[in-house]
Amino acid sequence: MADEFEITDEMRAQFGVDSAPWTYEVTTTSVRMYARGIGSDDPVHYDVDFAKSQGFRSIVAPLGYLGTPVFLPGKNDPTFGFPRREGGPRLNIPFKGLLDGGTETEYFDVICAGDVLEESSHLADLKLRDGPRGKMLFVTNESVYKDKATGKVVAKQKLTSIHM
Amino acid sequence: MADQTYFEDVKEGQELPPIKITPDKSQLVKFAAGSGDFNPLHFDEKFPMLKAMGLSENIVHGRFKYAQAGRLVFALAGYKGRVKKFGVNYRGMDLLNKEVTAGGVITAKRQEGGENLVDLDIWTQDADGKKTTPGTATVALPSKNS
Amino acid sequence: MAQVYFEDIKVGDEIPQLKKNCSTQQLVLWAAGSGDFYQIHYDKDFAQNTGLKGLIVHGALKNAFLGQLLHDWIGEKGQLRRFGCSYRGMDEPNQDILCRGVVTKAYADGGNHFVELDVWTEKPDGKKTSPGTAVVTLPSRS
Repeated sequence: MADEFEITDEMRAQFGVDSAPWTYEVTTTSVRMYARGIGSDDPVHYDVDFAKSQGFRSIVAPLGYLGTPVFLPGKNDPTFGFPRREGGPRLNIPFKGLLDGGTETEYFDVICAGDVLEESSHLADLKLRDGPRGKMLFVTNESVYKDKATGKVVAKQKLTSIHM
Repeated sequence: MADQTYFEDVKEGQELPPIKITPDKSQLVKFAAGSGDFNPLHFDEKFPMLKAMGLSENIVHGRFKYAQAGRLVFALAGYKGRVKKFGVNYRGMDLLNKEVTAGGVITAKRQEGGENLVDLDIWTQDADGKKTTPGTATVALPSKNS
Repeated sequence: MAQVYFEDIKVGDEIPQLKKNCSTQQLVLWAAGSGDFYQIHYDKDFAQNTGLKGLIVHGALKNAFLGQLLHDWIGEKGQLRRFGCSYRGMDEPNQDILCRGVVTKAYADGGNHFVELDVWTEKPDGKKTSPGTAVVTLPSRS
């Protein structure tokens, strides 16, 4: 039951376990669709010639968009799209409820269409809090994105989900 | 796109011009397409989880609100600035067809690592003015002197 | 499916059926994949305001299902030359859509072995909603 839940040593042991890498693709089509999805009409997200005239490699990914993970049936979650990978932290959370807790992105370069990124994630934080409907487990995963061509880290993103 | 903002142009306490958007189903479906999050919570009014959560309407993706805060911060940075970091927490739900407003205020100006940095409190608020998605950001701005 | 060869089929044969049933999520996935965000496929209020009973399946999605029906049948060694259908009747989400095809012609021409088919989607009551035709080539054992 939600109220008897405690963070176990087995869960704490998942810190520092890196997932297998996954490829995220940033394409002109995907950048434009994301920009349309957020209601932006900034031409730097749509018009390649314009973006280049402003000094960018190609159209710029809207903030928060770090590419779309390669989708392989059976390997990715069919609703959310994230890859279910070999290895990586395994938490076995008994709660059914799942809500988005928070998102933080840190940039080391500008992400543009044409970039192919390699992402790997690890468990960054676990917090148990009391909520109106019982205990809530806050799980934060940090994803590190490297440019596949150069090997350089271009962005990091922390995603917090609330299980209850 | 507006004119470039320079480090010398901004001051602490300055509020950014807000960005407003009222997401209808079409917008949320486009966001699903762009983000890859096809959770029916955001577009299917008959989805059982809505009832289980006590909701009468579909809700806006948290990441959609994050993206609105992103648009605000991107506009401040301009094409010559660079957003270093921005993050939010999802504290409340926003409903379909209700206005979402992204806002921000500059809390600090500083120099670090050779860059001119501006720190901000950012948020999105729902149609009732409640700040459902509070957070912070750091932006590097170009200087007029460089 | 094992690879089908020209010699295996004859006029009148029905090809293996493909059953589809679109959830509302499937319709949104199609909107994403096709770029057709017309609201009659996911916004019930909008659909009803245009005079429809409720959400309907995109015609182009049914066309794509027929494409899948043919693609699955012809196998790696077959080639799809041409196919098309008319959107005569509406299909709705959460209801079976049966994709079917029947061979109408089979002939050799210029080194290729052609097969022509009638293809269509039909509702659970048997009503044909998207009648069409297709032309494929199949490998030959000769």
